[in-house]
Order: sequence, then structure tokens, then C-alpha cells
Amino acid sequence: MTRPGSGRWGRRARSGGPRYPGWLALPALAWYAAFFLIPLGFVVAYSFAALSGYSDIVFAWNLDNYRALWDPLYGDVFRRTLGLSLFGTLTTLLIGFPFAYWIARYARRKTLVLLFVVIPFWTSFLIRTYAWLIILDPQFPLFRVVHVDLLFSRPAVYIGVAYNYLPLMVLPLYAALERIDWSLVEAAQDLGDTPLRSFRRVTFPLALPGVIAGSLLVFIPLTGEYLIPAILGGNKTSYAGSLIAQQFTEVHDWPFGSAIAVVVIAAMTIVLLVFSTWANREASSRG
Amino acid sequence: MARRLLGGFSALVFVFLYAPILVVVVYAFNGGRETLVWDGFSTKWFSAALHDSAVTDAFRNSILIAAGNAVIACVLGTMLALALPKMWKPVRIPLEALVTMTLVTPEIVFGISALIFFTEAGITLGLKTVLIAHVVFNASVVALVVRARFVGMAQDLEEASFDLGAGPLSTFRQVTLPRLAPAVLAGGLLAFTFSFDDFYTSFFVTGAGTSTLPLYIFSSLRFGVTPVVNATAAMILALTLASVGLAYVVLRRAGMSDTGTSA
Amino acid sequence: MNDQERLLLELGERTVSRRGFVAGTTALLAATALGQFPQAAFGRSEAEQLFYYNWGSYVNPKTYPAFTKATGISVKKDFYTSNEALFAKLKGGARGYDLAVPTGYMVRILADAKLLEPINWSKLPTVKKTIDPKFRKLPFDPKDKYSVAKDWGTTGFMYRSDLVKERPSTWRQFFDLAKTKYSGKVTVLDGIPEVIGSALVMLGYSYNSDSKSELEAAKKELLGLKPHLLSITATQYKQLLISGKAVMALGWNGDALAAAAKKPVNYVVGKEGGEFWVDSYVIPVGAKNTDAAHAWIDYVYDPKHNATETEYTYYGSPLRRSLLKGKLDPKILGNPGVFPALRTLSNLEPNNVTAKGTALRSRIWTEFKNA
Repeated sequence: MTRPGSGRWGRRARSGGPRYPGWLALPALAWYAAFFLIPLGFVVAYSFAALSGYSDIVFAWNLDNYRALWDPLYGDVFRRTLGLSLFGTLTTLLIGFPFAYWIARYARRKTLVLLFVVIPFWTSFLIRTYAWLIILDPQFPLFRVVHVDLLFSRPAVYIGVAYNYLPLMVLPLYAALERIDWSLVEAAQDLGDTPLRSFRRVTFPLALPGVIAGSLLVFIPLTGEYLIPAILGGNKTSYAGSLIAQQFTEVHDWPFGSAIAVVVIAAMTIVLLVFSTWANREASSRG
Repeated sequence: MARRLLGGFSALVFVFLYAPILVVVVYAFNGGRETLVWDGFSTKWFSAALHDSAVTDAFRNSILIAAGNAVIACVLGTMLALALPKMWKPVRIPLEALVTMTLVTPEIVFGISALIFFTEAGITLGLKTVLIAHVVFNASVVALVVRARFVGMAQDLEEASFDLGAGPLSTFRQVTLPRLAPAVLAGGLLAFTFSFDDFYTSFFVTGAGTSTLPLYIFSSLRFGVTPVVNATAAMILALTLASVGLAYVVLRRAGMSDTGTSA
Repeated sequence: MNDQERLLLELGERTVSRRGFVAGTTALLAATALGQFPQAAFGRSEAEQLFYYNWGSYVNPKTYPAFTKATGISVKKDFYTSNEALFAKLKGGARGYDLAVPTGYMVRILADAKLLEPINWSKLPTVKKTIDPKFRKLPFDPKDKYSVAKDWGTTGFMYRSDLVKERPSTWRQFFDLAKTKYSGKVTVLDGIPEVIGSALVMLGYSYNSDSKSELEAAKKELLGLKPHLLSITATQYKQLLISGKAVMALGWNGDALAAAAKKPVNYVVGKEGGEFWVDSYVIPVGAKNTDAAHAWIDYVYDPKHNATETEYTYYGSPLRRSLLKGKLDPKILGNPGVFPALRTLSNLEPNNVTAKGTALRSRIWTEFKNA
């Protein structure tokens, strides 16, 4: 009936399988354009506007908002945000890697274990964060014995961040580690490698894509985090996300808030570009 | 030796993961109003939560938005996933970058941009604006899940189908779609979950009186951890555990193995 | 991203076959049905409803069911924690609230931004009979076009009298004690005009100053205070004072008195000055049931119902004092914390900041929060 190689789909891609028409992507594309790209365009446009009176917007088309951001005060905020993002990424990596390794290599009933990792995160993110307020309260049973006051402190924020972002790191790490053929590692050790060496030469390179994916999934959203500092930090310390939120919920300076958002977007795009070029180079160098 | 150390470490991580959950559940049964002052065992807060229209309305809104956006995200995302792999490269690369961006943009940025957009476009904030905003990132989630599955599927069955004379539409319907169904379902479940627990985006684009559960919890918790909120959280947890348990049992019976893949 | 995809692929692979699909869909439908169940079971109709957007702990819980019983109107609630948040919500496009309670200065701002519906006084017979004439035609709404007073109070500071033996009576003392002896145990309101205004009056300036130099000086004071704060909150300081985690707080008189019911708390408006405010009912634009809003206002102006409110919130009532005698607990009626003497009030200013002053304050607030 139909000659192989000339299916009704037209030219068959050589890698096999029908080629679905490009217009299938249009609905999603239209949605993205309307409800993601255009809104972001508005944000960029607003960043060049100014506040007039109590809350009206005037499109002055100048760089005043960006000039205001140059103030060292905001430099501090961005530095602090970067610090928090880095801390969160490193901590979740340090905790998550051994954990994911154990699940991937030694756990029986891996799916069940993974489910148990994820289940706490099916309660509300807010509840989980407020629960830490109860735990860190000096009157909580543990802290009546160990006299450390962590309520509304910087360490409390760090604990909350590590807690909430842990699964975002663990899942990609697990995915990468689970594909590893552990017999290779054992073979390397039989041939005389110390565990550390086989880790460095075999395990870690294979796990690297998972490390990268997990780091991205934690680092970038962390740059916009502000609820955890507000709840666990006593609402005293501000990060880039708090700064943006304040402009929209307390101070009505939408143009200024938009300018901050643009800076965050720009920074995030750079990070993504750097990571993806590095990831692509790693992937192609390993063949 | 390393194995035992890692096992011990992992146990500690589990304690860390479950500590707040246990605290919430335990204090949901606290008869007293002050969280840290134990005043006898009681289930009264559970009934208080079920009778509070603020809680039940918020829960209903969350379910409606999550279910609605899961369906839309599945349709959009699956179509995107099918078209993407074989697209002309100069179109595919930017499109993939766009999909990544929707997933990775900090929600505060996305939330305010959506707010500005709806304000400028004169669209009243409400359930539908929350749903619209959620679909943006959930469509990408579904697209990624389905594409991963699609790309990993051998196309031999499709080729056989063509060779037997079936047209593209019936091949898709009878051969491809059933094989994709698990991925679509998984994507849909993820979309449902992300939407149900979403806070930042919902905060900015919700109108008056369209509180979702996370928003209700937020507004309630600003006044301190209340027993009603603890009880609500405990109930949601129980509901989720029940659904997961049910799904796990059903899937186990249907022949899923722990490490193997299925056809 | 490839390995995330692989992970998701794994997840996808673990669900299998039509049975799984059916089970999953059924669960989803069941959950949706479950979500509908409580509402169906308790048979609430949407017919007559008041959507009340309010501060927290600002209505006696007993009043809601009493109101519903008397009028047949059910009350749906939502909450905000500062005037600015209320404004942001309405300005950002939230429509459907029937009733809100901004402070005086915010009434004017909302009216200017065309975010309010007019009040129909013909629907408020009880109010016209019982309101103290002092609370009509207030400076922020001289024609009574948009607002009806709800209550009034002051902004000052409070402290645990059993834990703070110094008995501070001025703002200066509040700041100094906070920075030294009680560092880490002090909170301030999450409110721009209140915090900045208090620093201004401490320095001898007007609460409403819009002078750049005066505001700079206030900012310096606030930045000096910031590292010693436990928390910046408008809603949690009552709890923190009762539990003793905070020993001093910048806040409102009603909250102080509510806390004093549980633990010894003194409330002080610093001798240098402070804020005197009136909160008013307004009907936001886009209200679905303005009749219900008027019904509520008229209901709570009945002296008996008003007394119930004052006994809960501890804020001053706008009704004529003579009408309250016999209805309101005499201990509260005679409490200078709830009904301060006129001479203490003469030292205080209502919020009346200009747009220029607000812009300057916004900048200072951002710096304060980010310090």
C-alpha cells in the first residue's frame, strides 16, 4: 500500500518515527506568548516608567529606576540574595548527594523510599515553614534542654531554605545516580582503587548532569524566595524577592519593582546560559 | 562500612524531613488554643476546620484550579512535546529555551508580571486568572515529561502501523497515545500538585474571595499558628497519603516492578 | 535538563496501563467530589452574603452569627494587615469586597484613586441617631461621602510591666531601652507611617513631616534600632508579649489592652507625641452587595451591638457616650486606655501625609527593611 519511507506524514525523519506537524506546538506557544512573554514585556516597559502621585504610573522612558538601584543599599540586598542562593544550593547538595546515593545504590523498594521523600512536600509549603516556627520556639521541648535561641534568626532562615529545597536537589541527583552501573564501581575497587578514587573517577562524573540539574532547580528559584525569610527571619531581612514584593504590596512603586525584576531576570538568564554551555560541553566531551 | 554510614545519615535526613510534619499532626490534636501549651487530646479542631466555610471554600477552589489546569496543561504540553523533537533547529532551540524559562523564572517575577498584564488588559482577577497563570509553567512540566517518554519510545510499532496502511490519525490514537498515556498522566499529576501547592503566583493574581488553600493558610498563619490550620494541614496530609497509598497498591497489582520499565 | 527529563521519564514509566489511568482519574474525580461535599452538605446559599475585608481580630466573633440571625445575611471574610496592603489589593484589581475598614488617611487616598463606592446615608437610620457628631464630616471625608467611622485609637508602645521595671514614658526611652537592655526582645509594627512617624515625633518633628532633612534624621534613628528588633509584625506582637518572647512592642492601644487581659502590660503614647487615628467603614468599588454593607454598618451602630464590639477590640467607640452607659461594661467605659482623656489626645496628630511625604517614606521603609 504505502511504500516504506514515504508515509503519509511526508518526509520521514531518518531517526525513525513520524514527524508531527509543527502547528501542534502553536497552542502552547500562543499561551506562552500571551501569558508569559507579553507580561514580561510589560515588566520591562514598566521598569522605564515612574510613580506619580500616590500610585499612578507615568511612562517617562528613562533609566531613573536603574540608577536608583545602583545605590550600595541594593548591592547589599543582591549580595545577600546571592549568598542565600549559593548557601541553599551547596547545603542541599551536601545533604542531598549522600542521601540520593544511598537510595540509588543501597535502598530496597526505591520507589517507596522516593515517595516518602516527596510526601512531606504534599502538605502546604507554608505549613512546613510555619511548623519550623513551632520547633524553633525556645519553649519547644528540644530547646528547653538545648539552650539555643534560633527564633527569627538568620540560621532559622537557612534551615527553612535547606528544608524546603531539598527534594528539588534530591530527585535529579537520584535520577542520575540510579542509572549508574554499580558493578563498574565495584570493579574499579577490585582493581585497587580506593573508594574515594572510584568515586572521583567513576561515580561523580556520571552523577554530574544530576548535580547540574539539581543546582539549577535550587539556585534560580531561590533568588526569588522571600516568604521563608519573612516567616522564619522575623520579617527583618530582605532579599531580592522581598524587595520586589514590597514594591507591589506595601509601597506601590510598580516601576521600581519592575526594574528590580528585570535585574533578577537578566542575572538568571546569564546563569542559565553559563550552565547550559558548560553542561553541553561536558555532554559532548564525554561523547 | 560506607553503606552503614550512609544508611545512618539517610535515617537522619528522614527525621529532618518529617519533623515539621509530625509537629503539625501532633499539635492538630491539641485541645488547647495555644500551640505550645498542651491542653489535652481533642479532635475538635478537625470538625471546626470542616465547618469553617473559609477552609472548605479555599479547598474547593484549589481543587478546581488544580484539576482544570492539569487538563489544559496536559493538552497543551502533550501537543508541544509531540511537535518539539523533530522541529527545525532554529525554531526548536529557542522554543526549548522558552519552556525552560517558564519553569525556572522565580515565581515572584512571574507573579508580578502576570499581575501587571491582567491589570493592563483589564481582566478581572479571580479563579480564572490563577488558572491561566498556573498553566504557563504546568504546560512546560507536562511537555518535558511527555517528551522524555516520547523520545525514549522506539518507533517500530508506529512504523508497523503505517506499513499496515493505517493513517497518521488512527496510528496516533491506537498506537502512540496509549503508550504515551502513563507519561501524560504523570505530567498531569505533577501539574495538579504544583498548582495545588502554589503560593507566590496565586498571591498576586487572585482576586477577592478566590482564596486557594495556600492563600487561606497564609492569611490565617499571619496571626500565629492556629489549631484550625494545623488540623486542615493534617487532613490534607491524610488525604494525600490515602491517594498515594491507593495509587501504589493499584499500580503494584498492575505489574509494576521497582527498577524495570514497562512496555 | 536531560536528567531531569530522565527522572520524569522514570516517573512516567512507573504508571502503567489503562487500569492505572482509570484508577488515577477516579481518584481525581473523587477528590473533586470531596471538595464539593462540605459545601453541599452544609447547604450554604450564595444568595445574601456580605464580603467583609478587614483587619484581624477586629470583630467580636459573636457578632457574625448574631448579624446573620438578625438579617439573614451570611458573612464571608478576608483579612489584611496594613492600610498599604489593602490599597495594593484594591489597586491591583481585586473586586468583590463589599466592606473594608481603612484608616482615615487611606480613605482619602482610596477616594482619590476612585476605588470607593459612595455611602447612602438613607440606609443608615441607626447610625444617624447614635453617632457622636464629633465623628461626622471628618477631615479626610468632609462630606461623609465615602466613609462611616468604625472606631478610633492611638499608636504608641507597650511593655510587660512585670519584666520591664523602667516604666518608659517617652519614645526616646523606648528606643534606648530597645537598643540596650532589651535588645532582641522588641518588635515594631509592619506599618510605614506608624514606624517612621514615631521616630519623627521622638525627634520633635511632626508625625506628618515631608521635609527631607527631618525624614533623614528619622531614618538614622530607625537604622540604629533595626539590628535590635526581634520581629517586624502587626499581628504577632500580642502573642509575643504574652509569651514573653518580646517585652516591648510598638503597636496599637486596643491590642495592648487585649494582651493586658492575659499578662501585665502597660500602654503608653510617648510624651513627645504620636498618632490618633479613626478607622472607617468604606465600600470598595466593585462591591456585589452594597445593601449588605449598609446593613452591617447600621447593625453595629446599635448601642447594644456596639458595646459587644468594644468589649472585644478595646478600641474607642464613635457612638455618643451617653448611649453607651448601661450597655458597655463600666470598667471599659471608664478605661483611659480605651477612651483617653481629651488632653492626652490634643498632643496627637492624625495621619495626613502628602504624596511627597509618602514617596520619601517609601524609600526610607525600603532601606529600613533591607538594613
